[in-house]
Amino acid sequence: MIGIHGIVFAYQQRESLQELVKERASASVPFGGRYRAIDFAISNLVNAGARDVGVLVQERYQSLLDHLGTGKNFDLSRKRGGLRILPPFNIMDDRGNKNFRGKMEALCGVRGYIADIKQDYVVMIDGDLVSNLPISEIVQSHIKNKADITVVCGNDSFYVDSGTYFQTDEEGRVTDVLYNIHTPKGRRGLEVYVISKTLLLEVVDYCISHDKYSFRKDVLQEMKDELVIRTYVWEGFAAQVRSVKEYFERSMQLLNPETRKDLFREERPIKAKGADKSSAVIAPGGCVHNAIIGDGCLIEGIVENSILFPGVRVGKGSVVRNCVLFKETVIGRRAEAAFIISDKRVRLTDGATIIGSALYPLAIEKGSVV
Amino acid sequence: MKKECIAMLLAGGQGSRLYVLTSSVAKPAVSFGGKYRIIDFPLSNCTNSGIDTVGVLTQYRPLELNNYIGSGQAWDLDSSSGGVHILPPYMGSSGGTWYKGTANSIYQNIGFVDMYDPEYVVVLSGDHVYKMDYAKMLDAHKNAGAACTISVREVPWEEASRFGIMSVDEEMNITEFAEKPKEPKSNLASMGIYVFTWAKLREYLINDEADPNSENDFGKNIIPNMLAADEKMLAYRFDGYWKDVGTLESLWDANMDMLNPSSGLNLIDESWPIYAKTFSAPAAYIGPWSEVSNSAFNRGDVIDGAVSDSVLSQNIFIESGAVVDHSVLLPGVRIEAGAEVRYAIIGEDCVIGRNSKIGEAPPEDGSKDWWGISVVGPNCTIEEGRVIKAKRMLDSEGREVTR
Repeated sequence: MIGIHGIVFAYQQRESLQELVKERASASVPFGGRYRAIDFAISNLVNAGARDVGVLVQERYQSLLDHLGTGKNFDLSRKRGGLRILPPFNIMDDRGNKNFRGKMEALCGVRGYIADIKQDYVVMIDGDLVSNLPISEIVQSHIKNKADITVVCGNDSFYVDSGTYFQTDEEGRVTDVLYNIHTPKGRRGLEVYVISKTLLLEVVDYCISHDKYSFRKDVLQEMKDELVIRTYVWEGFAAQVRSVKEYFERSMQLLNPETRKDLFREERPIKAKGADKSSAVIAPGGCVHNAIIGDGCLIEGIVENSILFPGVRVGKGSVVRNCVLFKETVIGRRAEAAFIISDKRVRLTDGATIIGSALYPLAIEKGSVV
Repeated sequence: MKKECIAMLLAGGQGSRLYVLTSSVAKPAVSFGGKYRIIDFPLSNCTNSGIDTVGVLTQYRPLELNNYIGSGQAWDLDSSSGGVHILPPYMGSSGGTWYKGTANSIYQNIGFVDMYDPEYVVVLSGDHVYKMDYAKMLDAHKNAGAACTISVREVPWEEASRFGIMSVDEEMNITEFAEKPKEPKSNLASMGIYVFTWAKLREYLINDEADPNSENDFGKNIIPNMLAADEKMLAYRFDGYWKDVGTLESLWDANMDMLNPSSGLNLIDESWPIYAKTFSAPAAYIGPWSEVSNSAFNRGDVIDGAVSDSVLSQNIFIESGAVVDHSVLLPGVRIEAGAEVRYAIIGEDCVIGRNSKIGEAPPEDGSKDWWGISVVGPNCTIEEGRVIKAKRMLDSEGREVTR
């Protein structure tokens, strides 16, 4: 069957996200005043016509399940196929119930699922990649170039936590794959891969029988000569949200109209769970400049250079600058907040002051009262 | 599929007093409060009151309404044993007709109601904005053993002659009903929300249909007939916010009420949520040089101009240098640089060209005869520099139409 099948890796634990991943996988970290990170991966796949998407999870996935539900919000609630959550099973061997050591270990655990894939091509994507990718075009280029594996790269070598960097020849064929490097070089891999279903099953079987677990080491690095691995370079916005600082900087980039234009495209809409909140309201005395404001916010104070998720309240006389406030954060009256990322339902009491710094934004745990 | 109580929602009105705003949609599908359609209010009230079966009676321009309601999932009204059902007029073996009146629309769907064999039927209107617990009203109906319970609210005496007015005894039994009386004997006005004991209503609907002189209307025929026959008729007092948004002025007023906490219309309060169908758009962006005060806005909005005392639906663009004041903008409107929109309702997907001026603030000397809100119909493009005075109304082609 021609078409693509999506696999989303949502099992990763990104400990550098600190408080933000205390109770959730990085794929369900809120982003952009309305979304969870995984909305981007799934919307990318759906916008390219994928009707079947499997999501590999391992730990702390309750928040993710709440968010994804039946997949209805992505039109993936189908009688046949649609959204499939793939929790870990049969990995209780001598290693015990430990984190997956790599993507191949996660994939080997769902060999049966992969064997049943009906589509010719599989697009694998990280659940915490925030980007609006032209997956159809990427798959077309994969087919046209007769590649065995296409890796999608950003047009830069920014440092990201646990990043993968691809070195290529003039024709875009991958000559080396580097990770754990001190100074990144080559192109930053976005951890988006196109591979045929047949080849994926072959490498899964190879890894199972050789006790191998890493996609980048055991497949990309080891097989770079025998397989044709090509890059597809994405020039647009691509945030790999893996640390608090990166989260903060990437969020703030959304205040730039060009970034929003790149990430929110009419032809490839990013879908998300509905919020059932009313309109946002700037009440008398409220003043907002350069900010993203989610549904149902009620603002009676000053908000600048910030991102507010749905249902945030900012009380009279309060000042919020350079903050990311998750859903239902409540800033009392005459309070001041700057350079903080407040998780859901954090409460800043009347008169409280909390200030982080641009270099070290402060993440405040879910439900805290400050 | 026995149900204790189901709801029938009258959504078949033409909404002619909303003029250009209902040129292509039924009145219940008109946008309200930035993110709702009017019909979200009765549907959400049903689901919040524990009523899971709703029949929606439609006949005019139903496409958008049908599409909006869909499976009813947005209001949790998609259960396998009930859910929301669109009920247009249909042909039977002995022919069929359009709905002749509100009572006739239910009469034609007696078969639908009987499928659920309910004890009680709530009859609702599709053009009211309010949050109400029908379960409490039903309790009052049951406790009194009434045949019909009508919700009422106090209106100022000087306005009473515009409403259907109920006179009641100490126990809130209705003793008299007068439709728009010249000399009202009471100031309790009917809100057009009824609870009927189905067996009774069924009987009256059948008798009413047999009467060739009847207008087949609840207010004009069914209620007076029941009173005349000495049925137990109860008035149920409701003190919360309620507004009939059947006219352009009342629609604008109700939108403004949403910005004014003392009006009693609190949509931010989540204890009685109003649900709406969701759509894909990123969160709103308020630009660095914008000036926004006392206004509501929604997903997909990008505001770079000045907005005051206004309600903005989704996907609205207000360019830098544009001014929007005391206005209601329906989804997809773009206000270009230098344009000024004051005291106006702008229909869906309109483009208000550069430096044009729509509407005027009311005169300070109180001479209001010439003043009124201005209205632009959906999908209209207002060319650069055009001036539309107060109280004027334009259709989708930009032609002035009279009210």
